Amino acid sequence: MSRVVVIGAGLAGLVAANRLAEVGVQVVLLHKGLGGLQLGQGTIDVFGYAPERVFNPIKAVGSVATTHPYTAIGGKAVLTGLDYLKKLLPELLLGDPESNYQLPTAVGAIRPTCLAQPSMIAGHVTDGAKLVIVGIRGLKDFQPQLIAENLARTPLPDGGRLRARHLWVDVPARDGEIDSSGLTYARAFDDEDFRVRFAKAVVDQLREDEIVGLPAVLGLKDLHAWRDLAGKLAHRVFEIPLPPPSVPGLRLTEALTARALAAGVRIVPGVRTVRYASSGDRVTSVTTAAGLGGRGYAADAFLLATGGFESGALNLDSHQVVRETLFDLPLAGLDQTPLIHGEYWGPEQPLFKVGVAVNPKMQAVDAAGIPVFANLYAAGGIIAGASGWTEKSGDGIALASAIVAAAAISKELA
Amino acid sequence: MRKLAVDVVVIGGGSTGAGVVRDVAMRGFSTVLVERADLGQGTTGRFHGLLHSGGRYVVSDPESARECASENEILTRIQAGAIESTGGYFVTCPGDDPTFADKFLAGAANTGVWAREVSVAEALRNEPRLNPGISRAIEVRDGTVDGWKLVWGAANSARHYGAQILTYHRVTKIETEAGRVTAVRCTSLRSGEEVLIECDFVLNCAGPWAGQIAAMAGAHPVEVVPGRGIMIAMNHRLVNRVVNRCIYPADGDILVPAHTVSIIGTTDVKVDDPDNLAIEAHEVQQMLDAGEVLIPGFRNSRALHAWAGARPLIKDDRVAVSDTRHMSRGMAVIDHTTRDGLDGMLTIGGGKLTTYRLMAEHIVDAMCDKRGEHRDCRTDAEPVPGSESGRTHLVSDRLHDREHDRFDEQIICECELMSRKMFTDALASQPAGSFDDLRRQLRLGMGPCQGGFCSVRATGIALDAGHLDSERANGLLRLFLKNRWIGLWPILYGDQVRQTALDNWIFQGTLDVEHLPQPTSEVVL
Ligand SMILES: Cc1cc2nc3c(=O)[nH]c(=O)nc-3n(C[C@H](O)[C@H](O)[C@H](O)COP(=O)(O)OP(=O)(O)OC[C@H]3O[C@@H](n4cnc5c(N)ncnc54)[C@H](O)[C@@H]3O)c2cc1C
Ligand SMILES: Cc1cc2nc3c(=O)[nH]c(=O)nc-3n(C[C@H](O)[C@H](O)[C@H](O)COP(=O)(O)OP(=O)(O)OC[C@H]3O[C@@H](n4cnc5c(N)ncnc54)[C@H](O)[C@@H]3O)c2cc1C
Repeated sequence: MSRVVVIGAGLAGLVAANRLAEVGVQVVLLHKGLGGLQLGQGTIDVFGYAPERVFNPIKAVGSVATTHPYTAIGGKAVLTGLDYLKKLLPELLLGDPESNYQLPTAVGAIRPTCLAQPSMIAGHVTDGAKLVIVGIRGLKDFQPQLIAENLARTPLPDGGRLRARHLWVDVPARDGEIDSSGLTYARAFDDEDFRVRFAKAVVDQLREDEIVGLPAVLGLKDLHAWRDLAGKLAHRVFEIPLPPPSVPGLRLTEALTARALAAGVRIVPGVRTVRYASSGDRVTSVTTAAGLGGRGYAADAFLLATGGFESGALNLDSHQVVRETLFDLPLAGLDQTPLIHGEYWGPEQPLFKVGVAVNPKMQAVDAAGIPVFANLYAAGGIIAGASGWTEKSGDGIALASAIVAAAAISKELA
Repeated sequence: MRKLAVDVVVIGGGSTGAGVVRDVAMRGFSTVLVERADLGQGTTGRFHGLLHSGGRYVVSDPESARECASENEILTRIQAGAIESTGGYFVTCPGDDPTFADKFLAGAANTGVWAREVSVAEALRNEPRLNPGISRAIEVRDGTVDGWKLVWGAANSARHYGAQILTYHRVTKIETEAGRVTAVRCTSLRSGEEVLIECDFVLNCAGPWAGQIAAMAGAHPVEVVPGRGIMIAMNHRLVNRVVNRCIYPADGDILVPAHTVSIIGTTDVKVDDPDNLAIEAHEVQQMLDAGEVLIPGFRNSRALHAWAGARPLIKDDRVAVSDTRHMSRGMAVIDHTTRDGLDGMLTIGGGKLTTYRLMAEHIVDAMCDKRGEHRDCRTDAEPVPGSESGRTHLVSDRLHDREHDRFDEQIICECELMSRKMFTDALASQPAGSFDDLRRQLRLGMGPCQGGFCSVRATGIALDAGHLDSERANGLLRLFLKNRWIGLWPILYGDQVRQTALDNWIFQGTLDVEHLPQPTSEVVL
């Protein structure tokens, strides 16, 4: 049986590992920590701004510049990926590739995203809706007045308006604790008794027809906790994602990890991959920093899904040299100088578009388009050419490039 | 137009102005301080943080050395809360002239600056990250000082003695009549209101802007030569004492542990405009190289933030204008009567933050002389509000405080251990303040995450506290992020790039801050 090493456990690494394992490939997933998926907003973005607000994400994918990763990835892989995730995680992801949800954020902006968790959908903004944003005193990352007032004064993407007010409740996640993380609250919401107490504190303050916006902490293990709470409140409720730690992000990461393990992926957590060995035009093994001299993993193909600057996959050193930190791969985007400029609210910093160039098989290529190694593939944030956070395209690129890479690898090994 | 009438107007709310207004008020004059921005927003908020022992000047400038030594002692008494008595070392690094240490010790003996040579082993034991190749180490009584706390302490003391403090008021004109100053005109930058302050004396403490102020009174130009210096804050305290190279003063020869960071500096380049201070890439490299000499591996630690300040040196014909480091740091009080035939105004230039109290004493003495009256200076005798206990600051103070209130108070800025109450109290005392104004008092957003986690909380809490509406709240958030970036992008590398990418994922990815309703006009203060 052929063997593949996937490096990185973000969305790209987890999806690729699942896809490969499902077709019978023996997969080893090495990661030094869980990726951005568990820190992010817990939805699947495909395209949110191009740079104007995007309503039909799959259409936007089809009209990107040639330097954008979606050009090599292609819209078909995006559709395959979205369909795959919806089927793999039906309790966690809903949505339509041709239509973005427009969901409130924890500062009260209205953010486009493609697939969202069922617990978030009622937040999709509509003309005339009446929202009440409920803050919890013990949870400082959710400031309901800011959210409500910003939502109320924002013209909706399709022209309408909504009404929003806020209220506070004081229900500690744990007795005597006044400064709890979202995670602590999520664990509390897993518990029915807590939900009863919470509902009691809120229900009398609700007005007819109001949709209740809450921090995205409505249960971690119990994926129906939000629905149960909605029933207890007899109102529609929706979750608004918080900065890390992100409960919706954790739900996705845990679900994808569980599926991968069930499919037979061997996950080696908490290890940093530090070097590789090659022979001719092939990578033969990678080595992790474990014990003396490290531990080697040989394989037939390797997928680099190590993310971007945030995960340390790319590094800008103090002498202003940018490197891909594992294979020292050639980088694209370095010609856009200066890489960093002083305007915070200005154009995207060119540095953050630097990355590895790929061909339509997701092999890492050099400036001439030649694969650096025949069996080295790349997926996700490591790929050059996108501004994931401004476009809201990070998840879509990670997902679809993983789909393409997994398909190319299994074809190559077959 | 609003009208006020006082004896003395003090212009400039840096350390000098704050010290002067305190001294003036303590001597019983009625007085107003006018500052165009917030207190400590000029040079005083862009300095190195070193409370000099005098060691730096024992060879190059014995007079300054003496002044520093005695002021250091006084400030440690009267402004204990702003000072951390870290102690310091002067070390001879590989390649440095080892005989300078002998000159240093002789100079110290000569000027009364406390100094003691210690063994290299002892120095390395106390500061294990120091370059193991150092050949000599001299212990001194350097400390670190929080310039903002110092200024607020002096200003609060002045208020206690009846002084008024007008921040965000820009002086636009100094009125004169028959060769005498009669009033100061200023404009409120928040409301646009004109304020006319009648007075019979103006003390110009505008630091590098002192020349501009003198010109407003029609005086002959006072030539100020702003000497720009850059500093970089590195994450963590790489050292717990101030570490100086034991050489003739040069660039990048001091590392100062201040609060949770260590600051390397500085440079000295003549510039024309104190409002326009660049942080050049080559100077950043120069500082990192200099850091490497003191602390091997310096470049591998994380640079958090950079800033630049301009030394308010008054031109001194004895040295070339391009070489500001070797101009006297000694203070100069300019008497506009003899110089310009203008009565009722004095300008002060030069000096150091460490000697701010002494500078104030000199200029207020000079004013009393000109008024023909004698009133004693008492600023050295009485601690400022908040420093009464005489207990100096420790880096662990906040941890200690949070240990005590953690069951009652949320921590809003984890990096700097700022509690919710600290924030809401500061906000209540400065309800029109920007988050940067609050930052200077609270260190909000000054740690490793550079505002990544705390700034949205701060925005929501400020709105919740009822001091502003959501449009201004968003505007303040935008302004805060923009301002943090000024000090970030010039030093962005390594882990701070990681942090920036994470912050971008949070602000733009998760929160979509850019797509909040755009303010009708950008908030600027
Ligand atoms: C790079 C550098 C490092 C330094 N490091 C140290 C150190 O480690 N230790 C030390 O003791 N000293 C140090 N110094 C010196 C010390 O910082 C300064 O001497 C001191 O801060 C000067 O204070 P000031 O009040 O005179 O000037 P400033 O702090 O600049 O105050 C002048 C004020 O005038 C205001 N102003 C200007 N124009 C107007 C107007 N039209 N209307 C109203 N207000 C106006 C400005 O906004 C400003 O706040 C350093 C200086 C520099 C440049
Ligand atoms: C706070 C936050 C908010 C976000 N918000 C959004 C959002 O709003 N919209 C959006 O589209 N995306 C968002 N993302 C990003 C998104 O979820 C993806 O993380 C990103 O697009 C890249 O995915 P990835 O799988 O390629 O890499 P990552 O998710 O970064 O995962 C990289 C993986 O590689 C591992 N790794 C790296 N180097 C090594 C090594 N040498 N050895 C072993 N393992 C290694 C890491 O431990 C990690 O498991 C956010 C991310 C963060 C952090």
